[in-house]
Order: sequence, then C-alpha cells, then structure tokens
Amino acid sequence: MSQIEQAKNEPKGARPKEQITTDPSDAAQRMRAGSMIIPVTPWVIAAVLLVLMPFIFTDNSAITIMNQMSITIIFALAYNMLLGQGGMLSFGHAVYAGVGGFFCMHVMNWSDFFAGLPLPLLPLFGGLAGMSLALVVGSFSTRSAGTVFAMISLGIGELIAACSVIIVAFFGGEEGVSGNRTYAQPFFGVEFLQQIDVYYLIAFWLILSALLMYLFSRTPVGRMANAVRDNPERAEFLGYSARWVRYYSFVASGFFAGIAGGLFAINYEILTEENLNTASSGVILLVTFLGGVGFFFGPIIGAIAFTLLQTVLSLQTELWAFYAGVLFVATVMFFPGGLAGLLMMHVPVFRLGKARLLIIPYLKTLLPAAIGLLGLAGLVELVFHYRHAATGDNEMTVFWTTFDSHNILPWVVLIAIAGIGLGIAKKTAPSLLEAWNEATTPDGGTR
Amino acid sequence: MTPALELKGLRKSFGKAEIIRGIDLSIGKAERHAVIGPNGAGKSTLFNLITARFPPTEGTVKLHGQDLTGMQPFQINRLGLSRSFQITNIFPKMTVFENVRCALLWSQGYKYSFWHMVNRKRDLTEGAEAILEQINLTERRNLPAGVLSYAEQRALEIGITIAGGADVVMLDEPTAGMSNSETDYITDLILKVTEGKTLIMVEHDMGVVFGLADRISVLVYGEIIATGKPEDVRADPRVQEAYLGAALEAEH
Repeated sequence: MSQIEQAKNEPKGARPKEQITTDPSDAAQRMRAGSMIIPVTPWVIAAVLLVLMPFIFTDNSAITIMNQMSITIIFALAYNMLLGQGGMLSFGHAVYAGVGGFFCMHVMNWSDFFAGLPLPLLPLFGGLAGMSLALVVGSFSTRSAGTVFAMISLGIGELIAACSVIIVAFFGGEEGVSGNRTYAQPFFGVEFLQQIDVYYLIAFWLILSALLMYLFSRTPVGRMANAVRDNPERAEFLGYSARWVRYYSFVASGFFAGIAGGLFAINYEILTEENLNTASSGVILLVTFLGGVGFFFGPIIGAIAFTLLQTVLSLQTELWAFYAGVLFVATVMFFPGGLAGLLMMHVPVFRLGKARLLIIPYLKTLLPAAIGLLGLAGLVELVFHYRHAATGDNEMTVFWTTFDSHNILPWVVLIAIAGIGLGIAKKTAPSLLEAWNEATTPDGGTR
Repeated sequence: MTPALELKGLRKSFGKAEIIRGIDLSIGKAERHAVIGPNGAGKSTLFNLITARFPPTEGTVKLHGQDLTGMQPFQINRLGLSRSFQITNIFPKMTVFENVRCALLWSQGYKYSFWHMVNRKRDLTEGAEAILEQINLTERRNLPAGVLSYAEQRALEIGITIAGGADVVMLDEPTAGMSNSETDYITDLILKVTEGKTLIMVEHDMGVVFGLADRISVLVYGEIIATGKPEDVRADPRVQEAYLGAALEAEH
C-alpha cells in the first residue's frame, strides 16, 4: 500500500512535449467506471434464449442437437481455458471429459446411492473426477508449455484411451458403460424421462459453467494465465511461478471438462472408448479453433457451428467431415482469429458508423464466392458418387436436383457454376478490400 | 548494516568459457549502483546470475543477508528484488493497464486467488493507475502494449519492474537504443521511481551513468577492476585503459 500512497503523492512527471496529448481524464475515467461492472446483458440474453429455444425448435431431434451443442460448448470453453487463455495446446483433453463421464456412469449404476441423488447434481461428480485426473496429470505436464506439454497431453490421451480395453472394470471394455438416469431421486417430481427435461438440466449447467469460467478469467490467477501465455519469463519475474499458474488453469479446465462429460453421461446414458480417444480430442481442438481462441465467446460460436455441421450436414452428405476439415484448414490459414475474430473485426467498423459501406461490396464478393464454393462442393460430391456408388446406380441428388452422374451435363454445369462464381469473387475482391480500408479508416484521418 | 545485495566469489562458466570470473560486490541500501564495461564483459550475465535466470557455477548471492542459492526467479522476486531486461520484455498482447496490474497482483497479496475479481479491486485499479501516472502512460492505458513506441515500451517495462514495490530494482540497459531526448526522459523517470530504493543498473550511456549512479563498478572480462564513486572511477588509470579508452576509440 505504501507504494501506492507514495505514488499518489508524486507530482505529475514532466512529459516530453513531442508526445501526443489527448484528454486523458475522459476516456480513462469512462473505462474505469465500465471495468468495475461485469457485463450482465449478454448473460441475460443467453439465459433467456436457452429457456426459449425449445419453444422455437420443438421437435425431439432439434432438442437432441441442442443438447449436444450445449455439452460441446462447455467442453470447448473448458478447452479454451488451456488453449486460448493459458497458451497450452492439448491433444488429449477428451480424457478429462471422458473420465468424468465414466465416473458419472458408475455413480448412476451405484443404485443405492444414486436413488438418493437428484440427477442435476450428477455432473458435479464428473467435474470432480475430471479435476482429480487433471490434478495428477497436471503436476508433471504443466512444467512447461509448448511442444513438451502438447506431447505429454498426446501421450496421456493415448495411454488412457488404451486403458479402456485394459481396465475393463472402469471403462467397460469395448461396449463401454451404460446406465439409466431415471433411477435418480426425482428432482421436484421431474424424473428426466423426456429429452426436454434433460435439455433444461444441461442448459442450467451450461449457464453456470460458462459464467464460472468467465469469472475465472477475471481473477488474479486467470489474468496471470494470460500473462504466462504471452511471456512466461516476465511473469516469473513478477513473483508468479509460470508452472503453478498453468497448473491451476489446467485443473480448472479438467473440472469443467468433467462437467461436460457428466452431462454427456446424462444425455446419452452410455460412454465408450470413443469419448476418450484422440479423435474426440482432435474434434474439440477443431471446434475451439474454428470458433476463435482469442475471445471468451469464440468456442461457443465454434461449438454451435460445428454441431450444426456435424448433425445437419451429415444428414445431407457422407462427406461432411471432409468439409469440416477444409473449413478448419481454411480457418488456420486465412483467419486464425476464427469465427469470433471475423465478427470482432467488424466492431471498429460499427463504431465508426461505416458498416453500410460494406453491405454492397460484401454482396458482390461473398455471394458469388458462396455460390462458387457450393459449385465446387457439388463437384466433390459428383466425383465421390462417380467413384463410389454401386455399379448401375447412376442417379444422385445434389442441391435438390436429381441427375445421372455418368452424364456429361452436370459436370459442365457444376464446373461453370464454380468457375463463374469464384471468378466474379476474384474480380470484385479488390473493391471489397478498398471498401474495407475505407470502412476502417476514421474520417479525415489516415491509419 | 546488512547490504541490500552481496555477491561473494561469483563465477559462471558456459562449457570451458568462464564468463564471470569471481565477483565480490556489496551494494548498500538505497544506493544507486551502475555496472559498466565493454561489450561482452559479462554485465548481462551478472544480472542473470543475480536474478537466477541462470544458476551460478560457484559463489553466492545474498539479498538483505539471505542466501538466494537454489531459488527460482519468482521466489527471488517475492523477496523484494525486481528486474527489467535488455530486450523489452512486456506482455505485448495485453493492454498497458493490464501489464501494470499483473505486476501488482502478487505484491498486493492476491497470489493464485481464483475468488477475487480483479476488476472490482479498487486497490489494484488505483495502484495500477498511480504507476501509469508515474511513467506517463495514462493516455496509453487501453492500448495493447505491443503497439507502443519503443521508448514507451521501455517506460512500461520500468513501470512493471517497480510496480511490485521491490526495494531492490535492477535495470538492464534502460536507455539502450534511445534518442537523446528519450534518454533524458527515461533518466528522469528512473530517478523519480527509484527514490529511496536500491538501484543496480547496467548502462552504456556514460551521461546516464554519471548522472544517476552513487557508485560505479567496472566489469571487464568477467572481473570487477574498480568500484567506487563516479569521479574516482573516472580517474582510475586502469579503468581509463580498459574501458573508457576503448569506448572512446569505438565512438570515433
């Protein structure tokens, strides 16, 4: 404290004249007032939306999709505590969700205890199981970030996935572990027989976990996680052990991953090796990166987008994973900020009140680009069908049009669509760039 | 009285090359001490040994009489020793304000807390703002630290270094690569923020050294060849031969 008082009593230092002097009090004061309040509005909107969603999308399959989405959101947010907030790239994070889920399944099958446990409390056990595993693994894996951490995470991930056929008592071997959530003690009369009951249970945990994870990022250890991510050495010279900061993030992340696993157990009532393996770990990395690691809400967008791809697109085409892969590569190469980064790029534009300058150029470039890409996707489908369909089965349907894949005409049409669409997009791209520069430059100023 | 910092028989070898060849040095409380020497003399290595960035091959470092052997940098920092770096070492993606606030967290006792909200802590906000005021970066408060000008980043680095209230402050070439006016500005800043503290600095700019330091040590090839008041050191023929002469030659 003495430091601060002393600092306050110091006269204002002489500032060299050549440096820019804007009015310091104004903006700084406003920011200070603003920074004292944790923004409540987005949370209220999110909660209201979650409550209302089942009234908009009423059928059971939509609710199933939303349940999966919510679980993925929690898992992706937990994963981003490592990747985005703490700078730790994990290739084996599915094991924390998986172990949490398996543990919940065992609690479910532990009938005497489970009969006295209200189901909404079950995910807590998953969280504790995930956290316990993270406590052990983190004690050696967080010693350094970077490649060493990534390799250890991969190794541990493989190790535990391999255990699923070795430690059959816990992981249930190849058929996994299944149970019945309705044996829990009824929660205010609700027995969770319906998908919609489960939906609200998951929605409750989604809001709670997301809020807690957000608040965690606002605490001293959460802030230092960012600092350690950016510059571990400097953090050490500020009194913080980079390793312990990483460890705390890791343990917290394990907890929330375990919560997601517990919710998975409730929703599907079965866990198998698939919940632990590297493929699942890869998916969560993809989801998080697609959404954007740089912003807290990035993984939320990523989880929504990916779940839609996975569920809606997979009904349309067998090749959905291929498109997801292409999207991921494109994200890494062209917009590393992810979907959230793309959205947030536009904040300055709106702040300058120049958003309408972008509408026409966007239509001119992005619409043909989208049509061209769809044409390209149609070609991919055509090739796939041509090569893999059973002999004699020449009929296929792309974009609600049925035609003969061995005929030359659809090839010509799709090549033309792809070529013209992408061609127009390429032609108009420079003017879009120009419009973008114009829209991001304050009037009368240069950047 | 125990000295603020005491080095005894400090040695450091990298493989066969001995970079620091037995240093004994004692720096009193509230003393401003400059370490000078030609390039490659081992000044930065000496700093890194004191702050445990590297372990010494031999010898001890004592801070307020406490032996620092085997301690990690963060433990040494908690004992009240803080340092800056020759290459600007800040958190480039975080805002200027956050940079300073992070530097306050440990010393204000928040440790690894995950139950305090940093935004709601008036002591943190006001403390960080007081530091920003001191280093004249209030107007840059909400910019990412990475976009500041070089001199501003150096000022921020000094701010981060002193923010924790450490009573022993080590600055590694705080004015390196600066224009004359920037150097004057940083020198004034250092004088202001290290009031009443022990300051140990490595510096090439003789103007800064003679303007700031109470005592000077001259390091040549890993050994201290002279320690004393600026005027005595300046008059020392060995120093003139080994360092000042060489430096003058280099300038011509």
